[in-house]
Amino acid sequence: MRFAIFLGCFIPVRLPHIEAVARRVLPQLGVDLTDIEGFSCCPEPVGFLTDRITGLAVAARNLSLAEEAGLDIITLCNGCTYTLRQANQTLKRDTALREKVNGVLAETGHRFRGTIEVRHFAQVLHEQVGLEKIHSVVKKPLSGLKVACHPGCHILSPPETMGFDDPLNPVVLDFMVSALGAEPVDWDRKTTCCGWTLTNYGDKESANRLLGAKLDAMHAAKADCSAVICPQCFYQFDTGQMLAARELKLEYRVPTLYYLQLLALAMGRGLDEAGVRQHRVKDPALEEKLGRLTA
Amino acid sequence: MAIRAIYPPGARHEAAEICLKCGVCCNVAHSCHVVYDLRFNPRYTFVYDCLASEKGASNPNIWLCVSCHKCEETCPYDVSPINFIEALKAEALSGGFVHPTIRAEVAQIVSTGFAFPITGATERQRQGLNLNPLSSQAVADLGRIAEKTGLATRLKEEQP
Repeated sequence: MRFAIFLGCFIPVRLPHIEAVARRVLPQLGVDLTDIEGFSCCPEPVGFLTDRITGLAVAARNLSLAEEAGLDIITLCNGCTYTLRQANQTLKRDTALREKVNGVLAETGHRFRGTIEVRHFAQVLHEQVGLEKIHSVVKKPLSGLKVACHPGCHILSPPETMGFDDPLNPVVLDFMVSALGAEPVDWDRKTTCCGWTLTNYGDKESANRLLGAKLDAMHAAKADCSAVICPQCFYQFDTGQMLAARELKLEYRVPTLYYLQLLALAMGRGLDEAGVRQHRVKDPALEEKLGRLTA
Repeated sequence: MAIRAIYPPGARHEAAEICLKCGVCCNVAHSCHVVYDLRFNPRYTFVYDCLASEKGASNPNIWLCVSCHKCEETCPYDVSPINFIEALKAEALSGGFVHPTIRAEVAQIVSTGFAFPITGATERQRQGLNLNPLSSQAVADLGRIAEKTGLATRLKEEQP
């Protein structure tokens, strides 16, 4: 299966090691990636709340580029998935709005037709590749690795748009982690926000409290690390944890791994190749454990 | 006594009519007020900022909403609190009560195609990972879209 890979902003600009891992491991599961020249920010929705037509036109332009290539979009970010799926669904359903947006888009020579779908990589792996196939590529089972799975908010809600898992009791990421031989832990506060948006637009102190409560819950569940599928969540649990550690008086660290990094490790890639050494939160015990599991 | 909805001119908050202030939205999964901030939760933000104030949009607490949609999932009456808060954020943006990060981000997207600045460090890191340089191909199209919708003019007017 082939997709147009939509990288968005966060991963290529701030976390390129995750892009590198995605490009290495997804094709090995039969998910081939085509780069489309000219994709822009999805766009990030808050700034366009008063400028809906501009926001929709930017999203529709991205969608139309994939349409012109005849490919569905695969994303690596909950936020991009949320924005593009909402725009795609809205413009497919509302023909009057579609014509209005296409009137703007005509300036660029593109046109939204509504011929493709947008999927997060976790949706593709779970629904199209399948857990059995994931399990079949595991060369180094991550046995004994305890993982706190945090799917994030915008892959789950609103469910009528996102169509992935149960927003109040999400389990799919746990299944995906289990397929690698690791052990998902049951932990409190699994469904609360990582706090990224608060850091960005709200109040850093509040964001730190939210993050601290989540880290405490992961630590109480004896998680070796957390697993995420969204770059904002990753950044909050990695750089955010590093920055908040002093204020929170953290006496422990819970490193985070993007799911595709765990997959890369289980497929036999080393810590360097999986990008784990690029992280801000270092935990020698985790590195030792992962080194042993993947040796 | 029933709370009378006071709508700012031109704003649409019809769903406020069916909010019973039951508080279920605030009590799910250690949601808003319990964990991170006593200043904000969907119920109080409705009552004080949306229903009972004519200047709710100027209250900085609306920016504490992380848009996690948990209130929407649990509201038994389909009020969808997030819609109110997003409406207030939209009013704030129109009224000039905007978090500076947001204004800068919109200008950044239109001028570069990306929401974050691309630094030399980014390019060096990408090069080290054998990744292609980031493309600026979208910028011309984004400029055309912003001109057509009037965003480009507004951004120029809002420049400090």
